[in-house]
Order: sequence, then C-alpha cells, then structure tokens
Amino acid sequence: MKKLLGLSALVLVVFPAAAMAQANPSNTGNVAVNGRVAPVCILGGPNPALVDLGVMIAITGTRAGRIAVLPAQSVSLPASFCNFAGSQVTVTANALLAANAGAPPAGFARAVNYTATAAGWAAGNAATTTAATANGSSASSTGSGPSHPLPKLADIGVTLSSFSVPGDNLLVTGNYSGTVTVTLGPAAVAN
Amino acid sequence: MRSSLVIAAALLAGSLPGTALAQSNTSTKNVGIVGTVPIICAGGTLTGGNTFDVGVLIDTTTGFLRSELSAPDQTLAGSYCSTRTTINVVATPMTAQNFTVTPPEGFSRQVDYTATASGWTTTPASYRTGEATNPAATQSRNSAFTGPITVGIGGFATTGGSALRLVADTTYRGTVTVTLTAVD
Repeated sequence: MKKLLGLSALVLVVFPAAAMAQANPSNTGNVAVNGRVAPVCILGGPNPALVDLGVMIAITGTRAGRIAVLPAQSVSLPASFCNFAGSQVTVTANALLAANAGAPPAGFARAVNYTATAAGWAAGNAATTTAATANGSSASSTGSGPSHPLPKLADIGVTLSSFSVPGDNLLVTGNYSGTVTVTLGPAAVAN
Repeated sequence: MRSSLVIAAALLAGSLPGTALAQSNTSTKNVGIVGTVPIICAGGTLTGGNTFDVGVLIDTTTGFLRSELSAPDQTLAGSYCSTRTTINVVATPMTAQNFTVTPPEGFSRQVDYTATASGWTTTPASYRTGEATNPAATQSRNSAFTGPITVGIGGFATTGGSALRLVADTTYRGTVTVTLTAVD
C-alpha cells in the first residue's frame, strides 16, 4: 500500500479597506480569505492484511504434488480516496516463491503465479498476472487501470486468482510468500 | 471656526450705529452664525501583515479539515466615527475557485467559518458563514468613538459536515466585509 501525500499550504490574504478615511457616514472594508488544499490520495488499510492460501498442492490423486485448485482470494481496501480528478490504481504483484532460494531440480518449481485485479475505482480494473519461471526469476509484474475523472471515495477490492505453477511442475516443499502492492495516485501522463 | 468669529465680529461692528453721532436711540441687529460638522466615519488602516495565515487546510493523513486551524487577528487601526454607529460584519465561505462543479459523494468544496469584529462595540459583531441568520452580525454603539477594530476568523468547518473531505484546489477563497455606518 502506498499513499500519495501532497503538501498543502494555506495562505489567507487580507486586503485593507483602501479608502477608509473618507468623509462618509458609512465605510466598508473587505478582507479576502485565501487558501488551498493539496491533492491527496489515501488507501484504506487492507482487510485482510495477509492472505493465507494454506496447503497449495494436491495431496492425493493424479495431481499429487502439483498445485491444487485454489479458490480466488479477496482483499478490501475500504474508504480509499483521492481528492482530485485524474487518479489511477496500479497493482504490482510478486509471485509466491519458496523460502528456499536454491534452484529446483528438474520437473520441480519454486514459484506460484497468479492474477491480481483491483476493482472499484475507475471504469476499468487494474490487473496483472505474474510470470515467474520455475526457478523464481521474473517474479514481478505490474498493471494499471484507467484514469478516474473526478475525486472519489470508494472501497477498492483486490482479487487474487488463477493460481498456477510454471510448466505445471511439482512444487518444492517449503513456505512460500509473495506480495501485492496497490498504489493509488495521479494518473500517468501520456508522452 | 476661528475665521467665522472674526467675520461675525466685523459684521456686528458694522451694524452698530455710529456712536459719534450722539443719537439718542440705538439700534441693534443680530446676525446669526451657523456651521456644520458632517458625520464622518473612517475605517482605519489594516495592520497585521494583511495576511491570515491559517496554514494547511487539511490533515494530509486523513484528508479531513484540520481541527486546530487558526489565524492571527488583523487590526483596523485609527478607526473613528463622529456619531453613534452600527458595525456590521458579513463573510462568504472559503470556496474552491478552480473545482467549480458539484463535488462527488464524500467530498466538499467549501469551508465555513466565523468572522468577528471586536473593539468597537461591547458585543463583537459576529457572522458565521452558512447560517440562515446571523443576528449578531450588526452591533450598535450610541456614541462617537475612535479605537482599533480587531478582525478575526475561526471556527472552521467543512460545509456539509465533518465526514466530508475537501477536494484539492490551489485556491479556496472567501471574503470578510466590515462596515461602519453612522446613525443619524
């Protein structure tokens, strides 16, 4: 989760009544009050903050040792907001990798790929699918959604789905971990 | 005033009959002398840097209006009025000048506040933006007076409620107007 925090400074300017010393039974002074609000985006805290997939392989049957059918997982980032027009969600996913960094034997893999999708912000979703190799390289991928044309306050829903293993190889034993980073901020400006 | 008296004295002298003529009767005429002092009010000169520096409008960790907003008072020095008066203060909310459309749900583009003008009357004139009525906006003084008028703003609140966040904008602007009016 990243936050975009803009510095905001408020300056209130007072203009004195320019012609206050006139021989007039009524005198008026105007005071202008100026300030500004900087652009800010803040993501709600993810709920849950940790997705536990449990045992990821089939224990029995013809697919024993290979990845099981894992249900999609949902994470909510409630009350996320940007107070300006032209904001965008970006998702960066890192494949789950085995804690043991050693190269897996032939026929085995130490990486689990998946698709991360962030919905609920703009007209389209932000999505990306990791494409790590069996030995865990190239584990990161990034995708961005379209720009939203107005300030917005909404729950952003992140779904993790389509879990797979490179080459449908057998998975090496061990603990696996990955991360999903959701960024809410100004939309990228096309060159 | 002094020059008027001299002229009057001369006129009186001219109107007297010549005493050297030793007439038995005297004649006296009165010439009236009048003058006018017009009602005058002056609002004085604003001191204090001509700037209300409230600082940052929002808490950048939440997006909500900061609860501790404040601004140093400004002073109108040298204000005076030669008769009884009323002092009136009115203000307009601080409003986003560039984001002019209706803000989306959850957002506001306006900040209300209270403006006060004190020192002229026993009870300061006070005006809160966004209120349907402001009965304390006009205060009366039953005598001529000279003295500084302190203008202050405070009590900032997001229009629409504290659950709303402010849209980003480079300029939020409002106006405070203080008026001294002589009462005949």
